[in-house]
Amino acid sequence: MKYINQIAMTFLVSTVLFTACKKDNNTILENPTVNEEELITTLRLVVTNSSGFNKTFNYKVDNGIGNANPSTPVIDNVVLSANTMYNVEVQVWNESVTPAEDITEEVKSESDAHLFLFASAPTSGAGAITFNNGSKDAVGKPFNQTIECSTGGAGTGSLTVTLKHQPTDKNATTPDAAGGETDAQAVFPVTLQ
Amino acid sequence: MQRMTALLLLLLFQLTAMAQRECDLHIEVSVTEKHNGQPLFPVVAHIDELNRTYETNERGRFTMDSVCAGTYTFHFHAAGYEHHVEQVNIVSSGEVRFKLGHVYTNLEEVTVTTERNATLLQDKDKLNSEALARESGKSIGDMLQSINGVSVIANGATVAKPVIHGLHSNRIIMLNNGVRQEDQQWGGEHAPNIDPFLASDITVIKGASSVKYGADAIGGVVLVEPAPLRRQPGWDAELNMAAFSNNRMSVVSGMVGHNFNKLPPLSFRLQGTYKKGGNYRIPGYWVANTGVDEKNYSAALGWNKLHYGAEVFYSHFSTDLGIYTGSHTGNQNDLNAAINSDTPLVPADFTYELKRPRQHVEHDLVKTKMYLDSRIGMWHATYAYQHNYRQEFDVLRKESDKAQMNLTLNTQTLNLNLEHRPLWKLTGEVGVDGIVQENFIQPGDRLFIPNYRSRGLAGYLLERYKGEDWTLEGGVRYDYRWYELFNPEGTSGQVVRYVLDYKNISGTLGYVKQLGTRWKYSVILSNAWRAPQSNELFSAGLHHGAARVEYGNRDLKPERSYNINGELVGMIGSKLKLDISLYNQYIHNFIYLEPGTDLLTIRGYFKTFGYKQTDANLTGTDVSATYDWTSKLSTSFKGAFLFARNVSQKDWLILMPADRLSLNTIYTTDISEKLTKAFVSVQAKYVFSQWRIPQNFDQIDYPRPPGAYFLLDASIGTTIMLGKQPMELSLTTMNILNQRYRDYLDAFRYFIDQPGRNVVLRLRVPMNFDNNKKNLIDEIH
Repeated sequence: MKYINQIAMTFLVSTVLFTACKKDNNTILENPTVNEEELITTLRLVVTNSSGFNKTFNYKVDNGIGNANPSTPVIDNVVLSANTMYNVEVQVWNESVTPAEDITEEVKSESDAHLFLFASAPTSGAGAITFNNGSKDAVGKPFNQTIECSTGGAGTGSLTVTLKHQPTDKNATTPDAAGGETDAQAVFPVTLQ
Repeated sequence: MQRMTALLLLLLFQLTAMAQRECDLHIEVSVTEKHNGQPLFPVVAHIDELNRTYETNERGRFTMDSVCAGTYTFHFHAAGYEHHVEQVNIVSSGEVRFKLGHVYTNLEEVTVTTERNATLLQDKDKLNSEALARESGKSIGDMLQSINGVSVIANGATVAKPVIHGLHSNRIIMLNNGVRQEDQQWGGEHAPNIDPFLASDITVIKGASSVKYGADAIGGVVLVEPAPLRRQPGWDAELNMAAFSNNRMSVVSGMVGHNFNKLPPLSFRLQGTYKKGGNYRIPGYWVANTGVDEKNYSAALGWNKLHYGAEVFYSHFSTDLGIYTGSHTGNQNDLNAAINSDTPLVPADFTYELKRPRQHVEHDLVKTKMYLDSRIGMWHATYAYQHNYRQEFDVLRKESDKAQMNLTLNTQTLNLNLEHRPLWKLTGEVGVDGIVQENFIQPGDRLFIPNYRSRGLAGYLLERYKGEDWTLEGGVRYDYRWYELFNPEGTSGQVVRYVLDYKNISGTLGYVKQLGTRWKYSVILSNAWRAPQSNELFSAGLHHGAARVEYGNRDLKPERSYNINGELVGMIGSKLKLDISLYNQYIHNFIYLEPGTDLLTIRGYFKTFGYKQTDANLTGTDVSATYDWTSKLSTSFKGAFLFARNVSQKDWLILMPADRLSLNTIYTTDISEKLTKAFVSVQAKYVFSQWRIPQNFDQIDYPRPPGAYFLLDASIGTTIMLGKQPMELSLTTMNILNQRYRDYLDAFRYFIDQPGRNVVLRLRVPMNFDNNKKNLIDEIH
């Protein structure tokens, strides 16, 4: 019986010791605050030209991941004139916070680890957009954060803009060939008129 | 009063009778260890006829004076040893020698330990210290693959979790040193945080075993058991080294044990392991960012008296693991590009450096255990505290030291167990289990599962009746588990509190019968249950590796499984050993993932999966046979087949291990006194392509399960005697043919092949410094 008492005592003491040092965990446990780091909600195309055209087109999907009920995406129709030259700047935003966070600068500061890619459907003719003269990264390889484009004949199509992180081939022209991880991919409907 | 007089008379009569015999004999009794001849102490010897008790001294001896000639019954008791009874006829003065077998090292009586403290009659298989030494340096998951019916679910070559009869993760329990391991088992990429060098043997119990081990043990239990602490005075030590060519990995593990000469009950053991590997190689390519860096250590201190004792154990496990860069895909297109490419999309050279994505995991265990051998039986009380800390470092744009997930899981468990003394032929145990647990992230982490705290209480009773050539076992258990969860929801992250509780009864009934001297069969009925885990209830997250989003389901009910297992073990002639096991497991409310509608995100469309429930039925067989061609040459065959059905949908279940066969031939011989236990072995393994897949497979998974593969391993080794010091040396080549293959249960099957050829050099040096050696030698001469 003596031993049983000893055993019981030791257990009691050790249990008290272990439970004593865990009080401060309770507030953390009961109030989880989460943060999707480096969240992107919006790809924005700022389209200008020499004749004073200046419009922005948004592709916005609220935090669809980590939220069982994602909000309805906001996808602007890219309406441009047919057979015209434009300058395009791609901006990257996190609009889930107020004020909205402009991530573009961050992407630009790591231009050698990022690549913007543009794909038009159809690839030529009515409703197509062709891209060239994209901006370069710090070591002179394609980055394409700003780029020139020319529109085809009047018609409709779609434009896919992809932001790749750590692409394995910076000279690639398609997302698959570029490798790396897709940070954002926006599919805009296009109307050329 | 009359009775008293009668008793006195009887006593008087006896005394006079004894006086008439020769009663001046002098007997020296020595008690030694059966296998190594070491003197044992303290051993208590009780002699029925004299009603006297003696204790051995440090030379394993005691003396009996003025003994009459006659027959005496000796009972020996020593902790860690079998209770030994022997009748001796003493006719003259002299020495009487007894040998006791250690319950742990006595291989024929392996079941003695398990029957005593661990198990159930259930189908089980064991890797003993020899088998573990042959596989040393591998992760615990990989080691267990050599057990029939066990496969692994993996994330490349560095993360492997055991799969028992098709079930894994939170459907099996790992018992590390008697304590249920609590280390975020729910994640497919979360390998068990256990250092296999701690173990002297690892046992796998196949099939539902909730009664003894608690809820969740639907698929089975893995018992990782360290050797008992040293009980003879002196030092022992062991050094293990292994070098792997494939990922240029080195593993060093050392252990030192001591028992104090001046303070015989006190023993300790210190142990540590260091493991470092770099990128591994698949045929033709290095795999980017797949290094590993693991540091583990443990200390045990024991105070063992004959009838009571206590032990304190502490272990620390810490690992840094790289995750193949190419397995982190941004969206479905990235995943398809990786799948359709024949070569790894991320080129790499060899390096030990770990980059993002990577994980850092720490696991601490403090355990105190006490036992007391009383008149009622053997009492055990075990209290353990476990701290598991898991950090995940995601790929980021910004340079940062910060982890994006910091998950803490703290668990306290208490077990009180009584193995009662045999009541006639009935042996058994009764016990209580308690658990208190908390799981939380750091503020600002990415969310995958909600924070929670949980408490549980359980009671169990397990009894066994031993007949002439049969044993019947029955057990019952009641569990209560309570959860309080805190889940941030909606765009604002409003915290919602949930309270859930589960109660369940589980049971087991087993029968084993010996058929003559050579055959034995067993039939076991058992059931188990498992409460849905918080990831199954609440997860809403992206799996980068599979480019898919998983949604929890708050309406999930506990799973219940009903298991029947029949096993036949025996010998045909003197050379062929057979072991055939058949099982069927019916799981009511089996939780699985079902595809849902695609989800549009800023990265494009993702497949979504929701947790659903169905009734499942898993039928299978494990067959093994060993044929001894000669006493030196033997061949063993193993085959495991599993048929896993979704009963409600009349379809196959997804992600179940494919059937497999293996053939192992080993030749063992002693070359000379300096070169003993030399061996050459060849192992062939064939894994079928899994064709039992659900009809909608192409909509939920791509591509189809990989093809069948054949692997060839070979090993050569010997024990070299340097004076009296043995050194075990072996050289093993895995995947000799440098075969390109992929495994269905490896999450990296989408991206890359399995590792290529891997040459392993192993060295094991067991050392023993006995204080008693001199005495022993003196006695022999």
